[in-house]
Amino acid sequence: MKAKTTSIVDVLKRLAQLLLVVIGATFLLSLLLRLLPVGLKELYVTGLFEEDRQRQIKELGLDRNAFSYYLHWLWDFVRGDFGRIVLPGGGGESVASHVGRALPKTLQLVFYTQIFALAVAIPLGILSAYRAGRRTDRFVSYGLFTAASVPNFVLGLLLALIVGAKLEWLPPLGYVPISESFVDHIRGMVLPVLSLGIPLIASYTRLLRTDVIATLREDFVTMAVAKGLSDRRILFTHVLRPSSVTLLTAAALNMGALIGGSLVIERVFSIPGLGTEIGFAIFGRQYFALQAYVALVAVGYVVFNSVIDVIVGIVDPRTRERRGA
Amino acid sequence: MVLERFRSLDLFTKLCSSWLTIMILMAVLGPLLPLVNPREADVESMGVGLFSSGHVFGTDTNGYDVLANIVDGSRLSLLIAVVSVGLGGFLGAALGIVSAFVRGKFDYVVSLSFNIMLSIPNLVLGLALVAVLATSPDPTQAVSSNRRVVVVMLSLTIVIIPILGRIARGATLTWINREFITAARSMGLKNHQIVLKHVVPNVLPSIYAIGFLAIGVVIVAEGALSLLGVGITDGVSWGAAIARVSGDFTYAPHSMYMPVAVLALTVIACNQIGDYLRAQLDEREGKI
Amino acid sequence: MAGSGKAHLRPSSDPILSVEDLVVEFKAAGRESIKAVSGISFDLIRGETLAVVGESGCGKSTLGKAILRLIPSSGGSVSFEGRDLLALPDDELRQMRPAMQMIFQDPVSSLDPRFSVARLVEEPLAIWARGTVEERSKRVDELLEAVGLDAHLVRDRKPYEFSGGQCQRISIARSLALEPMLLVCDEPVSALDVSVQAQILNLLQDMKERYGLTMVFISHDLAVVKAVSTRIMVMYLGKVCEVAGPDTIYAQPRHHYTHALVSSIPLPDPNAPRVRTAIEGEPPSPANPPSGCRFRTRCPAATDECAVEEPQLTEVAPGHFVACHHPR
Repeated sequence: MKAKTTSIVDVLKRLAQLLLVVIGATFLLSLLLRLLPVGLKELYVTGLFEEDRQRQIKELGLDRNAFSYYLHWLWDFVRGDFGRIVLPGGGGESVASHVGRALPKTLQLVFYTQIFALAVAIPLGILSAYRAGRRTDRFVSYGLFTAASVPNFVLGLLLALIVGAKLEWLPPLGYVPISESFVDHIRGMVLPVLSLGIPLIASYTRLLRTDVIATLREDFVTMAVAKGLSDRRILFTHVLRPSSVTLLTAAALNMGALIGGSLVIERVFSIPGLGTEIGFAIFGRQYFALQAYVALVAVGYVVFNSVIDVIVGIVDPRTRERRGA
Repeated sequence: MVLERFRSLDLFTKLCSSWLTIMILMAVLGPLLPLVNPREADVESMGVGLFSSGHVFGTDTNGYDVLANIVDGSRLSLLIAVVSVGLGGFLGAALGIVSAFVRGKFDYVVSLSFNIMLSIPNLVLGLALVAVLATSPDPTQAVSSNRRVVVVMLSLTIVIIPILGRIARGATLTWINREFITAARSMGLKNHQIVLKHVVPNVLPSIYAIGFLAIGVVIVAEGALSLLGVGITDGVSWGAAIARVSGDFTYAPHSMYMPVAVLALTVIACNQIGDYLRAQLDEREGKI
Repeated sequence: MAGSGKAHLRPSSDPILSVEDLVVEFKAAGRESIKAVSGISFDLIRGETLAVVGESGCGKSTLGKAILRLIPSSGGSVSFEGRDLLALPDDELRQMRPAMQMIFQDPVSSLDPRFSVARLVEEPLAIWARGTVEERSKRVDELLEAVGLDAHLVRDRKPYEFSGGQCQRISIARSLALEPMLLVCDEPVSALDVSVQAQILNLLQDMKERYGLTMVFISHDLAVVKAVSTRIMVMYLGKVCEVAGPDTIYAQPRHHYTHALVSSIPLPDPNAPRVRTAIEGEPPSPANPPSGCRFRTRCPAATDECAVEEPQLTEVAPGHFVACHHPR
């Protein structure tokens, strides 16, 4: 009973920390806008007459001070109102609709990549740990290291160049939504996912390899072998479990790099995701939209990490004991 | 002594450190090397392949010599990386070490600030900073090249501060509970002396190790930012060179392959050195 | 038990160190504070070795660090050389440091792993600018030889190249560099193998004689302190139980806790008749100590009185003080 009450307090504490970080980040972002060398008023207030100008200023909230502006922004943000694209004549699309169109594509890219990478890395990692020490192992480990260090946009460019343009095995650019054609959708996503995924696979494989090699040395494995369990059974059910925590944590940490990488990959492969929208916002000088996009990314990242933290807390056999289960 | 160290490395690490040395030499000695002017287009040989006369790595579709641009680009790319990591690392480490030593409210604020900055993925943060700070008042006129460089350096410095800061803070926390710190105080050392003499030298190795990895991160970030069109635009850095040719590489693919390869190899080399230093560190910690 | 009181102080003998009503509190996150040291008093006459003995968590290490003001205290006074260390401004406190040095429990972690042995031992001399560089170097060699190490062999090595016992010797050499008057030893042999313990204890005795030191020797092991101490103070949960000379403590422990400690010391002859008094139960949490006498929850002789009133140290024989309502 006691363990349960402490954990509710802990959860609340964690939530408070989370909130603090998110509020801090989004507040800094809104302050950042004020650092614009140009000044938001000059950019967006384009009315010819004084009363038009005043109206515009009020609409965009430019008459408020930093705190007041932020609070209003926050209130709108949590309700899903991300502002509008500011056009000289007024009547720009809501940023939320841009997000609605673009976000699913980015999410697809990112999640396909993670799943693909984990799916390949797990057997690869276990296998390479199992065969550790053989002659080819050195070669494999250097290969993995190199693959993990290659910048993902480099891979993207090379793949687009060679596989896409030269060999024409797969389309070098363009995105096809699932609703149109599942096959084409997948074909379009293969190269982008490979570009982001190969370094990830290499990184997870290396991690898993080290972990599994260490776990294989433990007594409980010797015990399992003595009991007569098959190698495959041991590897996949007993050995994988403790390493799953490391993998989960790595997946969470890598998410940030993935999000960043997806920006560039979307550009290379012309995928109309959030990264592309961010690009439009920057070149179109739509800073309110930019603020919203970046805030979304930050919130998403923090929430994702916290969810993983919670899952790790539940799955990790060490913490499970402490909870008095 | 340096030679001894070098000899003790395994082949891969030797290759990586050699590569990095070559890159640094290239960057430093660049203008003195007998190369074609990188900013001058050779209209007579546009898009020629490797090993053509006068252009060892060929030229791109506009006639710019590929090798010359790589060498020239290395200066800016490496400069940005070294300054961002150097400055960002110094500031971040100073904050991290002091905050871990002093603890209390200051530590809480500093570590919260680090977490806040780290809640936005590196590239996204860099992008936002560059986008905002590099805006020119007149939409028709691009921002001056120098201004862009400074903005990119500043933004990447800001991105690096919490990364190295958190490492420094973590490392410091593991050291300040050791009894030799209490011993130092019992001998009559003042706090700032304890930090400088006993804490910093023990924390520095972990900072170096991650610092090399950070250099790789910055080189990639600069490349990515340039590719996205917000970084360096005039083609004078590696990223910018890649961005410049990404439009029509099909006619002169080597003009893309070469800078891409050089960038990738440099990042790999940085990662390997960083990894090697980290392994060394683990070994040493294990002895204690 | 829960001893307070100053009956055992000897102001007329001009003690070099006099601690009165020392209180050290820790604020645990969110909860009430833990009083690791609750109103302890003792004094130290020149040339004495006071052993502070007790089980883990009784506050003895905290006491050691607090009297040198290496951790903050919440109350009381520590009078050293006629000045209250707890009330001194930082700078003046620093000036007093050379006279009071400390040796720590973990021999390896008390030495900066990046410093060579010579640099470690020289550091205090360099801080206080004692002598020229050559003079300091000579002194370092002298100190290393004095603690039983071959100066030329060890000078340039790093701590991780040595065993625990050797590291402790280096620590001792370092602490003697400034020729202190007072040496606080915080469990100096607890981390060492038994065979090495004896060597280090002998070394400490030698150093004490050679340099005329006055020592506070903190340990959880009564057997260890018997040989080195001139007076023993037994602590329990932040309070004092009993104060007496070593022979008296061993032969006639009057406090029930001391008695239990003494009877648990292994004897060389397995057939010798002995009565072992086992203490019941677990030590109570320092955050919530029992009222009145803190030992009453584990004491075979506890009565209702023990729950109400905290016993004070009283002299039961010349030089022998006990804080108990019903001493043995």
